Formats: sequence, structure tokens, C-alpha cells
Amino acid sequence: MLVLVTGGSGSGKSAYAEEKILSFGQGKRIYIATMFPFDKESDARILRHRQMRAGKGFETVERYTDLKGLKLDPDSVVLLECMSNLTANEMFQEEGAHERTVEAVMEGVKHLRDSVQHLVIVTNEIFSETAQYLGETALYQSYLGEINCQIAGEADEVTEVVYGIPVYLKGGCVPDEKNVE
Amino acid sequence: MELIIGGAFQGKSDYAKKQHPEICWKEGRDLGADEIFTASGVLNLHEFIRKEMQAGQDLEGFGEELIRRNPNLILTSCEIGYGVVPVDAFDRAYREKTGRICTVLASYSRKVTRVICGIGTVIKDA
Repeated sequence: MLVLVTGGSGSGKSAYAEEKILSFGQGKRIYIATMFPFDKESDARILRHRQMRAGKGFETVERYTDLKGLKLDPDSVVLLECMSNLTANEMFQEEGAHERTVEAVMEGVKHLRDSVQHLVIVTNEIFSETAQYLGETALYQSYLGEINCQIAGEADEVTEVVYGIPVYLKGGCVPDEKNVE
Repeated sequence: MELIIGGAFQGKSDYAKKQHPEICWKEGRDLGADEIFTASGVLNLHEFIRKEMQAGQDLEGFGEELIRRNPNLILTSCEIGYGVVPVDAFDRAYREKTGRICTVLASYSRKVTRVICGIGTVIKDA
């Protein structure tokens, strides 16, 4: 199953996505971390997410680019967080895909979906504001928007999390409490 | 507790006043740090959060304290987390804090309504 979880900043997307992974039961839980630790603020953010995941049985795999080259146990249930970072990495990091970002990310998503049990992807809504961007930032928005649309097209479930409340956009339902550990 | 959210200029305040004509509404930006704990209705909570953060408050645990001290409060707040990550560090912190606080308040609220074009969609009704 492929699940896309989206939402704004500080909306509780991660907590919802983790709960979704737990609802799949006991498989091998893998957390693909895409945030490159480049300053104190990202260190703090990474630490906060590590604390949230503590005790939930996740193995963390750091992956900043080239999702397609990632080999995982076929029994895995995988949480990929988050698409906004992966997209930026592919665009701006030296070993990234640059102008092939959308293709590279989508090839990676399909590769993972086909090679593990369940894949939950967290992404970000960064498309509703008054500011208008130029150059790289505008290109970044267009890439991420395209990626979100394409993943949603492939996904079995798409959920927007609004301040912790799931708003179901495609498929999905309230996770069965009995299945949540 | 009840939360009414949505983008800017969507008619949240009018919606809130129409739903609850009996409430004496206060603007978040005009409320002192302690006054929010005794108010019955607060418009634009995000402006209260920004004002407090600008005054140097980190608002750690603020959502929990508000639930404890003013559990029947009705609030409106702008959704401000749907853009590109701000370049300014204060804006980033303010944007994230507003999201975290509203998530805490939403989990406690019996009702959460999202207003777009003046139309409210109830996304939680416990």
C-alpha cells in the first residue's frame, strides 16, 4: 500500500504518519530520513523527530538522494520523511538529479512501493501564500507540486493532516484502534 | 473548547460571531499574556502568539496551560503554515509554534471548523 500524508507546517503530519505505520502491524519498520543536517536548526528538528519515534521500533536509514538505489528488506513497512527535503536535496546537492528531479524522485517512489510491504510518504503543502517566488524557489515549488500530484495519482490513500485532524482526500479511513499498538 | 481556522480574509471572525452571538469577543493582539486565560472568545490567536513571541516568550506548554485554565474558550486562528519555509528565523519559529499550539488545542477541542470563502466545514465534531 502507498499512502501520501500532506499538510502545512507544524500540523501533526509526522505523528499521523507514524500512527499509520504502526497500524500496519509488526513488519520491519524503516524510517527513511531525508533531512540533511546542515545547521543547528535542522539538528534540533531531527532530534525532535527522533524523540517522537523513540520506542516505536523504527530503524533509521539516512538517504538524501537516489531513492532508486536504496535496497530494503521486502518485509519492511517504510516511512519516508519528507518529500520536501528529498526534492530540495535532488535539486541542490551536488550528487542530486538536478533538472531530472521529478523523474528521479518518482522512479525512487515506484521502486520503493514495489519492493516493500507498505510505504507511507510525508510531504508538505507549501503552495498557498501571498509571496511570489522567482528562480530556484519557484522551480522548487513547481517540482514539489508536480511530485505531490504524481504520488497522489499512484497512492491508495491521500490524507491532509490539519492540526492533527486527518482530512481524507483519497481512500483511507480512521485507523482501526485494534490494530494500533 | 472550540477552534475555528482557515486562511486570511476567509470570514473566520464573522463566522465565529454568527455561530456564537452571546460571546464577548476579544482580538488576540490586544490581549495581555494573562487575559487570554479568562477570555470567553478570542479572535486571531495567531496574532496573540506572534505578539508574545516578539516580547521574548517561548510559549512552551502554552497550549496545555490554556486547555487547563480556560477549557471552554472559543478561538479563531489563521492557518499560516502553507507556504515556502520563511527565510527569516523568527518567522520560521512563529509559523511552527502556531502550528504546534493549534494542534494541541485541536486535539482537546470538541469541534474544529475550517472556514473558506465564509463557509465553514466541520473537520472534527467529537
